[in-house]
Amino acid sequence: MNKPQTQDNRQWWLGFFDFAFEGTAVVATRLEQVHLSIADETFDVLARVPITNTVSEPVRELHHGISRLSYRTVASAARLLNRVGQHAR
Amino acid sequence: MVSSHRIPAKWQEQTSAIVSGFLGEWLHQRQNPMAFSMDLRFQDEVLDIANPSFDAARPTLVVLVHGLTELETVFDYPERPGENYATELAVQLDATPLSLRYNSGRSISSNGAAFDQLLAELVAHWPVPVERLILIGHSMGGLVTRSACYQASRQPSPSPWLCKLESCVYIGSPHEGSWLARAAHKSADVLGKAPRDYVRAIADFLNVRSPGIHDLTEGNIHPDHEALQQPPLVEGVRHYAVAGLLASQSSHPVSRLFGDALVQESSATGSRQTEWKLTATAVFPRIDHIRLSHHPLVYRQLKEWLV
Repeated sequence: MNKPQTQDNRQWWLGFFDFAFEGTAVVATRLEQVHLSIADETFDVLARVPITNTVSEPVRELHHGISRLSYRTVASAARLLNRVGQHAR
Repeated sequence: MVSSHRIPAKWQEQTSAIVSGFLGEWLHQRQNPMAFSMDLRFQDEVLDIANPSFDAARPTLVVLVHGLTELETVFDYPERPGENYATELAVQLDATPLSLRYNSGRSISSNGAAFDQLLAELVAHWPVPVERLILIGHSMGGLVTRSACYQASRQPSPSPWLCKLESCVYIGSPHEGSWLARAAHKSADVLGKAPRDYVRAIADFLNVRSPGIHDLTEGNIHPDHEALQQPPLVEGVRHYAVAGLLASQSSHPVSRLFGDALVQESSATGSRQTEWKLTATAVFPRIDHIRLSHHPLVYRQLKEWLV
């Protein structure tokens, strides 16, 4: 007699959610670093221009703060959803 | 026998195969259900290796081994699902056609070791005494086959299936590595040294490569590969190599650079392995890497060699 199929559909979807949520969390974390790194190029230029250098630092901090909050919210939400999914497994 | 649960659809299995190719070891470590465990199949059904009783059991076995990110269905002729080199050869040889499914993202040596064990169990439990074993690997599948043979031959008492092994066929297998895997490896090295974080992010992306893909850089089939380079072919077995070409001639620049799109002819035929004694090689112009796994001309060649 041959074996039953080792994978059922529900298990597959739970595995897919694990992959998708963990992937989202990892990508959001790396994207945050890339976003801030690219933004720093612009802010570094603005910091050297006499007219903009006085405001560039506060704007950089505001921009970086909002960006970090956004990306980390996405990463945390994805990890939280993944934990819920793992309980279901 | 099929479980009462609804089984995943083909597209889900194909998704698992692709994701496993890139992240197979990660899925395996996380015990993610998307990761395949290694099994042997007969007509879409998983064999219970410990008790594989069915009417189709014959003393000759023809086993197909797929490549990276593939399923066993890669061998099916496009117009004839379920028919492939093994089913056609099985008719000629009065054999049982089987196919292997495995997590292609794991290292080739891990899959080779698991395949060695699986074949040992299969031969031990097969309903009739196995007289002849033929292994046909496409792409990475050829390297997994070679790895299983090599590891089986190195054990203090060689695996019993090895003395039943008659022929190994390597179809588009990168014995000396794939140009694409080497290009990804070198690009990741260069970009990883860039001073800018956003450039290094591209290197990070390229580095999301499974151990299986890393092994394709140089065609590594054994954990000691750095010391060993390419291990010898198992003796007493007929070894055949098949290569494809994108262009009509080997000397064409496109063929020289890209071979069958992924594997160059020199790598598929192990041209630098001076100690290898291949029984025969065949080169198929205008047949690309994927089509090598289900092309009538390739079957005609296999039939000539094996029947």
